[in-house]
Amino acid sequence: MNKNFIPAQAIIREIIRENEQIATFRLELTNKRLPFTFLPGQFLMLSVPHCGEAAISISSSPDRLPLIDLSIRRAGELTTAIHGMKKGDQVGIRGPFGKAFPIEDFANRDLLFVAGGIGLAPLKSVIDHCLFQSGLEEDAVQSITLLYGSRTPLDIAFKQAIESWQKQGVDCRLTVDEKDSTWNGHVGLVTELLTDVTISSNTRALVCGPPIMIRFVIASLADLGCGDESIFTTLERHMKCGMGICGHCHLDGRLICLDGPVFNVSQLKKLDVMEFAR
Amino acid sequence: MTNSIGELVDADVLLITGSNTTETHPQIGRNILEAVDRGAKLLVIDPRKTDIARQADIHLALRPGTDIALINAMMRIILDEDLADDLFISMRTENFIALRDYLHRLDLDELARITEIDRATIHEAACTYARSSKSVICYCLGVTQHTCGTDNVQAVANLAMLTGNVEKKHSGVDPLRGQNNVQGACDMAALPAVLPGYQSLADLEVQKRFRDVWKHDIPTTPGKSLTEMTHSGKDGSIKAMFIMGENPALSDPHLNRVKTTLENLDFLAVSDIFLTETAQLADVVFPAASFAEKGGTITNSERRVQICRRAIPPIHNCRPDSHIIMDLGKRIGCPGMDFDSDAEIMEEISLLTPIYGGMHYDRLARNHGLQWPCLDRNHPGTEFLHKYYFARGKGRFTITRHQEPYEKTEKKYPFTLVTGRGSYHHYHTATMSRNSKRLVREYPLALLEINRADCEKLQLKDGETVELSSKRGTVRITTQITDRVKPGTVFSSFHFFEVPINELTVDAMDPKSKCPEFKVCAVQLKKVAHD
Amino acid sequence: MIDLKELILSKDNLYPLLRKLRKEARLIAPVKNEHGDTLFRPVGDRDTTDIDLENQPQESLKPFFLPQQETLAGYTINKGEYSFSPPPPALDTIFFGVRSCDLTALLYMDLIFSKPFKDATYFDRRNHSLIITLGCNQPFANCFCEATSSGPYLEYGYGLQFIDLGDRYYVSAGRGKGADLLNKWSYFFREVEEEDQNRRYQLFLEARGQFTRNIQVPHACRKLQQEPVAEAIWEKLSSRCYDCGGCAYVCPTCTCFSVDDKPQDNSSGIRVRSWDACTSSGFTRMTGGHNPVDRTRHALKRRFLHKLKHDFASHGKASCTGCGRCVDICFGGVDITTFIELFTQQEKP
Repeated sequence: MNKNFIPAQAIIREIIRENEQIATFRLELTNKRLPFTFLPGQFLMLSVPHCGEAAISISSSPDRLPLIDLSIRRAGELTTAIHGMKKGDQVGIRGPFGKAFPIEDFANRDLLFVAGGIGLAPLKSVIDHCLFQSGLEEDAVQSITLLYGSRTPLDIAFKQAIESWQKQGVDCRLTVDEKDSTWNGHVGLVTELLTDVTISSNTRALVCGPPIMIRFVIASLADLGCGDESIFTTLERHMKCGMGICGHCHLDGRLICLDGPVFNVSQLKKLDVMEFAR
Repeated sequence: MTNSIGELVDADVLLITGSNTTETHPQIGRNILEAVDRGAKLLVIDPRKTDIARQADIHLALRPGTDIALINAMMRIILDEDLADDLFISMRTENFIALRDYLHRLDLDELARITEIDRATIHEAACTYARSSKSVICYCLGVTQHTCGTDNVQAVANLAMLTGNVEKKHSGVDPLRGQNNVQGACDMAALPAVLPGYQSLADLEVQKRFRDVWKHDIPTTPGKSLTEMTHSGKDGSIKAMFIMGENPALSDPHLNRVKTTLENLDFLAVSDIFLTETAQLADVVFPAASFAEKGGTITNSERRVQICRRAIPPIHNCRPDSHIIMDLGKRIGCPGMDFDSDAEIMEEISLLTPIYGGMHYDRLARNHGLQWPCLDRNHPGTEFLHKYYFARGKGRFTITRHQEPYEKTEKKYPFTLVTGRGSYHHYHTATMSRNSKRLVREYPLALLEINRADCEKLQLKDGETVELSSKRGTVRITTQITDRVKPGTVFSSFHFFEVPINELTVDAMDPKSKCPEFKVCAVQLKKVAHD
Repeated sequence: MIDLKELILSKDNLYPLLRKLRKEARLIAPVKNEHGDTLFRPVGDRDTTDIDLENQPQESLKPFFLPQQETLAGYTINKGEYSFSPPPPALDTIFFGVRSCDLTALLYMDLIFSKPFKDATYFDRRNHSLIITLGCNQPFANCFCEATSSGPYLEYGYGLQFIDLGDRYYVSAGRGKGADLLNKWSYFFREVEEEDQNRRYQLFLEARGQFTRNIQVPHACRKLQQEPVAEAIWEKLSSRCYDCGGCAYVCPTCTCFSVDDKPQDNSSGIRVRSWDACTSSGFTRMTGGHNPVDRTRHALKRRFLHKLKHDFASHGKASCTGCGRCVDICFGGVDITTFIELFTQQEKP
């Protein structure tokens, strides 16, 4: 599926409207015999008729194959077009691409997920996968905590998933920038939620959201004693091929689609990443 | 241009005024930068800190509309420092005494205050320009698009003559033309008051010549200028228009007047390559062939006539303008509308236009064209003008007086709006450039350049939508915080039809050139309430 | 031990040989057109004598292997079915008169388009082509291939290498198709004699001594591994960059591209790959406006570091081939040689 720019055909099985801007498109390859699997943190190049391609993280766990979730925020031409599509419509996908989160390293760890807005999408894949594994194996994760920030209560996405996680013992702490009359929870930036979290050498932190949020959260985690090798994030870039040749995601000698998009902070510090410069 | 483009490289001082050269005249900009690399001094006069201003040794960021005051100050300083070229003045010019006396009566502190540039900077720029005998001035629409545009140009000419920087190689006064063939269009008399080659309408011999060749009477009194036509409104003076390759519904000032005029015509025909805002108002639209689909010649800023060959056959049913005109001409009963080659058209031009006298196709095909004047088949063309004498004999100094722009800022409209081209990527009303995905990617939306200090006062952020308005109209536009503009000045391009900035500009014109004052009007900014 | 053939071709036999080759495959060579431009073009029957081996072709081989605009696939949307079809296959082609720098660039492109996945359309073209190079006895004004180890003569990588000895060519075969060609048309060639080898060596030494520009590429590459470039250098260069993309477009080793779908009508379209330039701000700007790169200060940073620092670190040599085309085209006078000169003079911080 990767050697040329020709995607595999996929059909939209279901659309979940997460909020005004974000919808999750549940896809399935029409050719069921195509061998396709992926790891949490990887992404696809999604083709939408007449709109070309965009890089989208997979937000479901591989355990849910043959179904593949892409949670997409409406922002430009392609994302607006897919938001106008219906169940049964067809799109194209190529992939999977990129380095995944190091799941093997998460056994017996305390996982801390810090997300803002659509940033929860790639992390959701990890959370679902870890919960699925914990039902099967002994060296499952020790604990999962989620800190999730949204602009307003209406913007909170993945509500179904969050409810399901809470039922499975995930400690979910939500915050909003601006409250409304219905909101009784925390108001403020997601960094503020960090003060109530215990960080130990067993903690592994996964962070994803707007660049400025990632920057502040990483700094706060470091101040709280989290080591650079234990903090992971996934970088977003304009991408055109996903395969390391178009050059758009080039960053200081690395290609985000091949060497990332998942990086730990110690790797990031060696790179000249403008958005994280202190 | 009096010089050729290639001469710029060897100039010692380049004074660029009202020209964002690297963004709008890339090749000339290249020559300027090459000159700088060879040690030339670069002086830039522009209210904005454009890319070329950033490269300048001295950037004179004057208040918009104060060019005459600045140049008068520079001339006064040149006289005070005894740097004028007395020999040149006495042998090649006239009326110097009157100018000298006028300049001596000026107050330099007052001029510094008017232009908002400190005296020391003006002094340095003036001396740098005057001390070199290889000083070139390049100017563009920042000088001409004012109600005193003609006087601005005269001031520039005064400055050059004062220092003798106009009759030799590597020195001169060079207007940079705004479109690639506007020089050619002017040469062919797409102007209201001359015949091709700038021959006088009133000259009886010239009139006879044209009548003999064209076998028809020709008008002998001047016609109307562009804005006289597009701003005639409902007065009925114009009943029908044929607009070719121009988009006044977006590019002319005070757009509401233009719309009124066009909507009130009995008949409007448009010839263009895309369905522009103007074409959308037309009764008949002729799909025209683009530059790649037709042949012909183009005359550039340095008076060089070059053949532009057809690269591909016309797509679908579009046709070269010459064919459209010939067909129309035949149907109206106009004689001689049956040229069957570009070379044949060129021959008639050579026959009737002395400065193009020797521009035959076989000659143009060699050596990248010829520069006019090129009087006959043996004439080699002219590299730089005014070598031994000015066109009128001696150059004449004319006193130019500072005059304030038509519209001043006031409490309600406290900002000065300057308009122009916004970036390297889009051309004018972007009829062509916005059809390129890549160019649109680089400059996708209309931006209002605004200084950080002004933004902070108004509590505006970068990339915020604001309402920009003048006495004539309002637009919504996105802010871009930049140090390219000084506090009190904002800048917008006119590329985007959805942000028709010319609804805000004044239609006051220079009385002689009829060029509108696109460069200065008064505006206010308001935050747009969040929805 | 493979015996790599070396033979001599008399100049009298060049056009006859080319005419034979032209019947087997599309023959592309530098041709001077009526405007005085030398460009790689297919050579027709009467045009064999228009081949120009004197002037530097204005373009490299890049337009043939990574075209400026290339259809990667066609797509249709028919009754809900969204499907793609592959592009037409490549033509058998022989390239003649390719300079050493341009072949070196092609070998670099082979690397880029094969890792981690082999690009199908690129290799289709590559596998259907044979490259015949012409070593340079006389560098052009802006050349510096010696500094980039990409000329004036090459030791490998070509199908055949021709060296002009005056009235004859010294022909060396690479592996595969080049050797096959010599075998098939052996009657045009004769054996190499000592006199030929001496002349070749002498011309090689003379060629190396004729570069007018001394660009310290290896020194700059090594220094880049150890020292950061001063911000002032990036800002000074970027302030003069016009954002025309010219350098990236003419450069034989710039391979960055964009892919866009172009609708042809409501139910079909094509997926097109086109050249792109990392010097533009839109290259990295994401939907929503966030741009991780500040073009005003760093327009040229990525491009120069990619060619001189990162590729040197990955492949052992810079990916600049010293062809000098960017020097010709740059409006702002801030081509790669300007950067190398500024940086090599930078004081160690």
